[in-house]
Amino acid sequence: MIIKKPSIFIYTHEADPSVLKEVCAGIEEEGVFYDIEEFPNECMEQLAFKAARDSMLGSGIGIFGTAVCLKMRGLEKGRNIESYLTPTRLQCRNIGANSARAIKKLPFKDQPSATMNKEFGI
Amino acid sequence: MSYIAGVDIGNSTTEVCVGEVTPDGNLRFLTSASCPTTGTKGTIENVYSVKNALKLAMSRIGKETSDLDLVRLNEAAPVIGDTAMETLTETVITDSSMIGHNPSTPAGAGQAVGEILLIENISRAVPDTDYILAASAEHSYEKVAAIVNRYNELNIVGIILQADEAVLVENRLNKKVPIIDEVRRIDRLPDGVPAAIEVALPGQTIRMLSNPYGIATLLGLSAEETRTVTPIAKSLIGKRSAVVLKTPGGNVHENVLPAGEIYFYGDRNITISLDEGADKIMAAASDAGDIHDISGQPDTNVGNMLSRIRTGMSHLDKSSEADIRITDILAIDTLAPVLISGALAGETCLEKAVGIAAMVKTQKLPMQEIATRLSADLNTKVKVAGVEAIMASLGALTTPGTQLPLAILDMGGGSTDAAVISNDSNVVTTHQAGAGELVSMLIQTELGLSDRHVAEQIKRYPLAKVESLFHMRMENGQMTFVDESIDPRFFGRVCLLTDNGMIRLEEDIPMEKIVQVRREAKRKVFITNAFRALRKVAPGHNLKNISTVVLVGGSAEDFEIPEMLTEAFTDYRIVCGRGNIRGTEGPRNAVATGLVLSYLGENK
Repeated sequence: MIIKKPSIFIYTHEADPSVLKEVCAGIEEEGVFYDIEEFPNECMEQLAFKAARDSMLGSGIGIFGTAVCLKMRGLEKGRNIESYLTPTRLQCRNIGANSARAIKKLPFKDQPSATMNKEFGI
Repeated sequence: MSYIAGVDIGNSTTEVCVGEVTPDGNLRFLTSASCPTTGTKGTIENVYSVKNALKLAMSRIGKETSDLDLVRLNEAAPVIGDTAMETLTETVITDSSMIGHNPSTPAGAGQAVGEILLIENISRAVPDTDYILAASAEHSYEKVAAIVNRYNELNIVGIILQADEAVLVENRLNKKVPIIDEVRRIDRLPDGVPAAIEVALPGQTIRMLSNPYGIATLLGLSAEETRTVTPIAKSLIGKRSAVVLKTPGGNVHENVLPAGEIYFYGDRNITISLDEGADKIMAAASDAGDIHDISGQPDTNVGNMLSRIRTGMSHLDKSSEADIRITDILAIDTLAPVLISGALAGETCLEKAVGIAAMVKTQKLPMQEIATRLSADLNTKVKVAGVEAIMASLGALTTPGTQLPLAILDMGGGSTDAAVISNDSNVVTTHQAGAGELVSMLIQTELGLSDRHVAEQIKRYPLAKVESLFHMRMENGQMTFVDESIDPRFFGRVCLLTDNGMIRLEEDIPMEKIVQVRREAKRKVFITNAFRALRKVAPGHNLKNISTVVLVGGSAEDFEIPEMLTEAFTDYRIVCGRGNIRGTEGPRNAVATGLVLSYLGENK
């Protein structure tokens, strides 16, 4: 019998190594397990959707090249928790941390839009 | 047919009510409106809010303010409330002697003592000395872990990080040590200073560093030094991780601030020191009997506060015979988190404080000036008519199910007023310091909010915690599910449920704590004041002689204050509840309604 460990799934397609590394670091810092699997020819949202669907914890990340997307099971199509096409190092780290915080039911770390608003004084 | 408007200028809101007198001499209420008062109550600046509210009300029935035939202003009670917070004790920690905070993910567990060693200086370290390594955010977790592993001949017993990477570093270490992260001002850590570090086990709080003798044990302090370190231990209680530094010139004080004395001039003159606490102050206030003035010791915080309120009032009544007196104060014990000077991670310390609301009374507010100005601006007749308390009672009587004799409790923003009307229309009134604004101030200080506006909103709306993207838990435990996923910005947070959607609280405070502080603040202010006020106006000063109490004013609209009072008064067999002016308006608009109603009485 195969028993799946409760972990966050990261589904990738030719993921940028530095993006993947930071995302994993974010999850690790929060103390949650993760599994990485490579999928051919899917867009980042599809990857994230499937990862969230398959994860026992209901939290999944899709990485397509540098594009990264965080989803939770049950979220409608077109609604992501967070997604970036070319994220910064910190954004990658946060997306990893947030995928874990989603499970722990902790508030997400700074939404980049909120920080940006602060920076630009919007 | 003519349009009559009643205008009530309050401490925080201005309310209007518009009625129509039909040719057969009957009155029909048409509309009402309210908007925030501009300027201090009773000053010429009020004209703007009055015009605004009138315009708003008239637009609701498709008319202009020029269609008004008469505006009736209330003869506002010449009292103004103000609030202030006074900290009684103060902890001063100079030379940054401690860090204590709750990072979400520290790593390792246990305590350690060693010398602070900045990671840049690691090559200078010698074996046989215990070190606590400090690394700024420039050093990645891999680099920190690699360095610690490489220098395995050094005794590194603990690590302090600026970045949020404690677990990442720990997972890569060969030898496990306690690690504290998210220390913002790591640049202030002095190199080579002895320090003690502690990380609590999961689910626990620190034990050694929150205990003065624990700090003494770890850092080898003398009895005298242990005494000075006590405030540090106190402020670290309940933390998940902490660092205490032993700085040679380090200096910790717990000062008792010279809080000053309050002088009551009444039937008896009484002096009381502010640090006696709220209960003693209130006892002194009631012992003093009929108070005709209150002042504070000059050049102390309370003295300055009371004289500031007095000066503020003197701007209103510029006449030379101005007689301005502080006639009531309400003191309430509270705890205020004060930012510790020299803190490295934004730590605060709870200090004892007293919140005070004071009430200033003068002979008369310059209402006539406002009336003249308003009359010129609106091009209509404006009349100052009627005493506020009588108008409020008149308005309150339009609540279904009321009759004379009637007591009203007008809970506004600045003051709590009570009036009793007997069967033969005798009115006894009183004004007490302390109402909605004091509640906001208490909520703000006890929760350590940076913004008064947030405290206002916490006072006004119930809370919910968003537990998943599809459901939230209300403060009463009830669960609510939604069809469409909630915005992730609200996820895991405590939110306020307002009429126009949710507001997210930025501060990370448990919902239960907020609810408790909010209810406690309301209870402290309004229950105390309701009893104080009604006792003053009750025949024979006995609450049993009152049978009906109608709650009016802005704070009566609150979602829990009226219920609290209803409960509190059941012991006295008093019927008490939120007013419903004209059966439609709720507890607001009583005075404005009374003003329109009294027009009929005057003309008969």
